[in-house]
Amino acid sequence: MTPAVEFNGVWKKFRRGERHDSLRDLVPAALRALARGRPPQDALGQQEFWALEGVDFQVAQGEALGIIGPNGAGKSTTLKLLTKILRPTRGTAIVRGRVGALIEVAAGFHPDLTGRENVYLQGAVMGMKRAEVLARFDEIVEFAGVAASIDTPIKRFSSGMNARLGFSIAAHLNPQVLIIDEVLSVGDMAFQEKCVNRMREFKRDGVTIVFVSHNLQAVTELCDRALFVKRKTMALGPTAEVIDNYVREMFQSQVTSNGDDDVVVTNVTVYNAGDQPVTGPVASGETLRVAVDLDVRIPIHDGLFALRVIRSTDQLLAYDGQFTQQELGLQLGTPTKARVEFALDVNLTRGQYYFDFIVGKPGQYVTRLTPAAHLTVAESRTWGGIADLRVRATATTAAGPEPLLSSH
Amino acid sequence: MLNNLATDVREMLHEQLEYRELLYRMAARDLIIRYKQTIMGFGWAIFMPLINTVVFSVVFTQVAPIATPVPYPLFAYTGLWAWNFFAASVRFSLNSLTSNASLVGKVYFPREIFPFSNIAVCLVDFAVATVPLVVLMLWYGVAPGKSIVLLPLVLLIHVTFTAAMGLVLAIANLFYRDVKYLFELVIAVWMFSSSVIYPLDRLTGKLALIAFLNPTTVIIDGYRAALFNLPIHSMTSLVSTAVLSFVFLLGAWLYFHRSEYQFAEAL
Repeated sequence: MTPAVEFNGVWKKFRRGERHDSLRDLVPAALRALARGRPPQDALGQQEFWALEGVDFQVAQGEALGIIGPNGAGKSTTLKLLTKILRPTRGTAIVRGRVGALIEVAAGFHPDLTGRENVYLQGAVMGMKRAEVLARFDEIVEFAGVAASIDTPIKRFSSGMNARLGFSIAAHLNPQVLIIDEVLSVGDMAFQEKCVNRMREFKRDGVTIVFVSHNLQAVTELCDRALFVKRKTMALGPTAEVIDNYVREMFQSQVTSNGDDDVVVTNVTVYNAGDQPVTGPVASGETLRVAVDLDVRIPIHDGLFALRVIRSTDQLLAYDGQFTQQELGLQLGTPTKARVEFALDVNLTRGQYYFDFIVGKPGQYVTRLTPAAHLTVAESRTWGGIADLRVRATATTAAGPEPLLSSH
Repeated sequence: MLNNLATDVREMLHEQLEYRELLYRMAARDLIIRYKQTIMGFGWAIFMPLINTVVFSVVFTQVAPIATPVPYPLFAYTGLWAWNFFAASVRFSLNSLTSNASLVGKVYFPREIFPFSNIAVCLVDFAVATVPLVVLMLWYGVAPGKSIVLLPLVLLIHVTFTAAMGLVLAIANLFYRDVKYLFELVIAVWMFSSSVIYPLDRLTGKLALIAFLNPTTVIIDGYRAALFNLPIHSMTSLVSTAVLSFVFLLGAWLYFHRSEYQFAEAL
């Protein structure tokens, strides 16, 4: 089967700042170009830079690909190349089938038009036929929850209503390939839930999806595969692996200290129950040991040692606890090397996490290492959430518990 | 090469067909907004050429009278009516890409929609402005004759030439933002060098030849000939203007279509 989306060695060049925008500048610019000759396409002129440097990927029909990367990494450029707004400098960007784009969902709205008029206009902007808009009009308004004000000008709408209506129109497109740019931040929680459900519906219906987002949790939930792009392809593969790769690259260990290097973390190692250092993913419920080696250069009597567990994909704090020096029975009267160990049960759902380690005194940090170590929880019986509460389910009928097999 | 051309033309037309709903919605949007925002609504379409007609009628019947084949107010109104469609269409088209920057940078659809929808709006105004024309013709008892059959051809040339100018200037203004200032200067000079408010009957020789190289003069002359059953000054000019306008539109549209992908970056 031919892939629905193909990106073959795509390079894209941009200019910094303004192009020669005025006729006055045209003549000198043209003369300069004439004197130097046309610069070859592959070379960078003054003020030019590569936004993408040879990015390759394919998306199979019915597959969902997440594109992640830091700001300015070329994610939006990639989307604009897919939606034909931009054209690659080199390479080819091919999309097969009817493209729908969820990009800046209210871009075509005019404030003086009523909601109804704007639905027709925006529908046409997104390439819907008149009959399609007519057929789905009530659904669109219903989904957006703006039925009461549909005949008032959009300028009287709250910004939330505006965005909801915009998303709703896009959500009722009938695309074969859907391009989504960070739209989950639209509306309140109830509406966001609706949006996510709608995207799942698209996926169930076999729509090919390319999803750009900083919300790694949403990418994890929606996408089969992910692309980590930073001008080049950094990683491409199963979503969990790519996200793991991305968070390790993005969250490089940083030390925040009080400036005196009174306490230096020399090593952090995570051990499993078999006392082997953890290198790959761990199972939910596994018992781990986080060992932190310290070089303590001043006497400390009232130290605090804290461990935090944070989910990388959404910065959700899963655990935050501290132990006093007294509790640990740690004597630090003279400069010394020390080791602090935390044993813990990983009762977490699948995902990417990292540890923070903090040494403090009451009311102040001495040193803080973030992330101190990364952790990938690979398997879990749960669908979402963060804590694996080891929930066990049983069921009874009115007749009371029944044996599973009637022959007994 | 020719193959390329055929492919592009087919693509251009196919896209317009595919997005005809958008063309209609964009034009409707502009008309609705104007109707909502101004008390007079479509009145402006009539008011502007009428006021100008009054001013020029005073000048050219009282101050410096000139002979015209039909009563001067009717003569002038016809010229201004046709000129207004051209000038307004091109002026709106010129700004259509830059004033819709947010859409150009975010959603893909054939960008010709912007100038074309503006021309469609002006065409509605043009139609509305025929009402005073008919009234003036009735008032002065000027009836069209056989040459009215030329009217569809003249209208076609008029719209074709206007669309071509609109496309070219929309691109030009996108890449060089001072085009719009230059345009205002050129359009004023252009109006007075076309036979909008005065006849070209007395021009002969080289000057007449030059005058009829001006497409707007040929078009306006064509309208007067068609509506008032007057002899057309130069059939050759009309036919060659028709051919050239068509070639101009084809070239302009191709150029527009082929540079479309640069628009988002130029904004």
